[in-house]
Amino acid sequence: MGAVLRSFGLFAAICAGLLLAVPASADEPLVYATIQPAQINLGESAQFTITNLGDTTSQITLPVVSGLKFEVIAHTREIQIINGTTLPSSSIVMRVTPQIAGIFTIPGVTAKSQPTVLTVNAALSGTAIPRVGAPPPPPPPPILSGGSIPKGVHLTDDGSAYVRLNVPKRELYVGESVPVEIEVGMRSGFVSSLNGLPKLTGDDFALNNLSRQPERSEKLINGEPFVLFTWRSVLAVIKPGTFAISAEAPLTVKIRTRPKRDTQLDDRFGDPFWQNLFGTTVPKDIDVVSPPQEVKVLELPAEGRPADFHGAIGTFSIASDILPNKADAGDPMTLRMRITGSGSFDRVDSSMLDHLDQWKTYPPKSSFNTSDPIGFSGMKTFEQPVIATKPGVQTLPGLSFSYFDPSARKYQTAHSAPLSVTIDPSQAESTLTASQVAARAGANGESKSAEGLRADHPEEPARVASLVPLYLQPKFLAVPSLLVLALSAAWIMAKRRLRADQGLTSRARIPSKAAKRVLAQMEAAARGKNAALFFQLSRDALHQRYGAEIEVLQSEDEELRELLEYADESKYSGDELKATHFAQWLAVVRDRLTEEPNA
Amino acid sequence: MTGLARIVCLTLALLISVQAARADAPEGYSASALYNLGNSYARAGKPGMAILNYERASLLAPNDSDIEANLRFVQSSAHLPLESRGNFDRLAGIGTPSLVSWAAVLGVVFLGAAAVSAQVFSRYRALRYVAAFAGVLMLAWTLCNGISLWPKLHEAVILTPSTPGRVSPVPMGDSLFVLQEGERVRIDAEHEGFTLVHTHAGRAGWVADSNLAPIVPRTR
Repeated sequence: MGAVLRSFGLFAAICAGLLLAVPASADEPLVYATIQPAQINLGESAQFTITNLGDTTSQITLPVVSGLKFEVIAHTREIQIINGTTLPSSSIVMRVTPQIAGIFTIPGVTAKSQPTVLTVNAALSGTAIPRVGAPPPPPPPPILSGGSIPKGVHLTDDGSAYVRLNVPKRELYVGESVPVEIEVGMRSGFVSSLNGLPKLTGDDFALNNLSRQPERSEKLINGEPFVLFTWRSVLAVIKPGTFAISAEAPLTVKIRTRPKRDTQLDDRFGDPFWQNLFGTTVPKDIDVVSPPQEVKVLELPAEGRPADFHGAIGTFSIASDILPNKADAGDPMTLRMRITGSGSFDRVDSSMLDHLDQWKTYPPKSSFNTSDPIGFSGMKTFEQPVIATKPGVQTLPGLSFSYFDPSARKYQTAHSAPLSVTIDPSQAESTLTASQVAARAGANGESKSAEGLRADHPEEPARVASLVPLYLQPKFLAVPSLLVLALSAAWIMAKRRLRADQGLTSRARIPSKAAKRVLAQMEAAARGKNAALFFQLSRDALHQRYGAEIEVLQSEDEELRELLEYADESKYSGDELKATHFAQWLAVVRDRLTEEPNA
Repeated sequence: MTGLARIVCLTLALLISVQAARADAPEGYSASALYNLGNSYARAGKPGMAILNYERASLLAPNDSDIEANLRFVQSSAHLPLESRGNFDRLAGIGTPSLVSWAAVLGVVFLGAAAVSAQVFSRYRALRYVAAFAGVLMLAWTLCNGISLWPKLHEAVILTPSTPGRVSPVPMGDSLFVLQEGERVRIDAEHEGFTLVHTHAGRAGWVADSNLAPIVPRTR
């Protein structure tokens, strides 16, 4: 209690100082009274506040109403300096406790101030409420609106903050997106900081495009000033079922540490300045959660689902155009489809025209322009390059886009009108003659000065079918190829005839590699005058050459028989041969080894 | 089949193929028609088409001074860089490609005749040498003509002003550079309505087929 008295003493000293400092105002001070709440039940109390905007010296008489008990619980004083002028104000806060039920009119605190009305309901309903005092005049306007607790607001136990999630619908479809609002209210002076962005509890839903900068406003809730931060976002529905959805926000609040009897007085003051001044609070991090709301998520119906449905849910309309609407064959044009509306634009997709006769189509590109900060409404534009391959007036068929309308609860398909374009022949493929080109130039007024050009040549008949040189054309290449073949054949024939004329027989064939090797060994043996080796080599070579036929050949070929006899004798006689004999027998062996098998 | 019969058969086949090659000749292009078409496009203010037709005409008549003069005039009017022919190109370009082609055939005949006669006759050696030399000369002329014309056979002319060279063969591909109407580019590849071109400055990009035309038209 001593601390309370010290506070009052300090308060009185500050008030006295301020009274001396404030200059006297020539205007009559504005004094009015408010009562919160204006309607209570018997046994409850209301807060009656007398506010004096101006000279504090004016006479304020405390109200006296039969049946009501007034108790002064606080005095406050403020000074505002606006454009160099000091504007003091002071308030007296009183508790009003009714003794009986009825409608009470509290007279004005000054001669010119308006009276206030307090309605006190009896504990039992149905009882007639007697009127007390004079007829009630209309109540004065409050400084801030919204004094009562709005719907959906559930304050924390200490009344310092709340989180409210505003979902527009209670029945959604899987894949649907709906705009939501998350409002975080923080009582002035009781919340130190907001420690992060609000989020959803659980993983049954997802928040997309949550605004980074919330909207800020101020509001009186239950008679207390609150600062409100509002985020907007798009709620994405992930899976079917019935879920409870709520939002939470991390805050740091000030927890009072003084005894309860003292904090009651602090509450009466309602000014956190005094609490902070005497160090009666400590900070604490808490997560404030909004009250859960039940949301039912439905599956999309399988019946009536269009083939080109890509999952877009919402309300959409489409339009299409093509630029330019006149072009040459082969020139690229851009076919555009614009889808406007609101809903799940991330699932708005289209392949536009896949295959089309006389057109070459390419995959489209898309871009999205949103008309709100959360991307729920806007326009998605698809641009598809297309190229006409044939000249003439061509018609592109109308485009279509399918989506699910949650309000109508059925699939819808939007159509655009067919587009007509004029395609001219391509310049590159043009087969115009010079005269046609000149005529066109004249018709188009393009008779540009062409001084410096040499004159035209007299027209000649076409001479070639292709601009590729003849020597690179396959048809023509057959000519020299056949010529080369013919001349080669002639050369070979002439060569053969020449050889025949020179008496060359088939025995003049080049001996095989094996025969050459044996003959070389025989020559080496002859040079060494080794008759035994010479004849052994010759006998082995001839046996290998003729095989079993050699017995028959001996009877017909005298040279062969004589050679084989010498070979047998040389093994035992050890006779030496002359060089001429070696040469003679070497020629005999060579002839036999190099002749054709059937010769 | 005797050797004489073989030669007769080969000669008949040769005559038939020559006749087949000549049968295609009457329809198609002529240098004068292409030149006059180029003049018409030049007067119409279409330098791309004019240069294309002059280039095509110069393939058929490489030494026509009128074609070369008008080509240079249009190129200079369109502020395109002028390219002068080197001595090698001038020498190789003596005679039309058709003449050069038949000269190659004649060269083969001369060389073959010299080789065959060397097997048959022991006399006329000097004549054989002259024939063989002439044959080699004609074949070399054809080879040089082919080397000279080869780049032009794989080039195209840009037909539209400010033609973008794109990074990929799609209409919405990013533009790498801009080509001037009438500019000659080398064709490197083709893909679905787009041609990969190489400029004389060394840059490569994809150009829509509608924006260019090959000097030698594509065969369909």
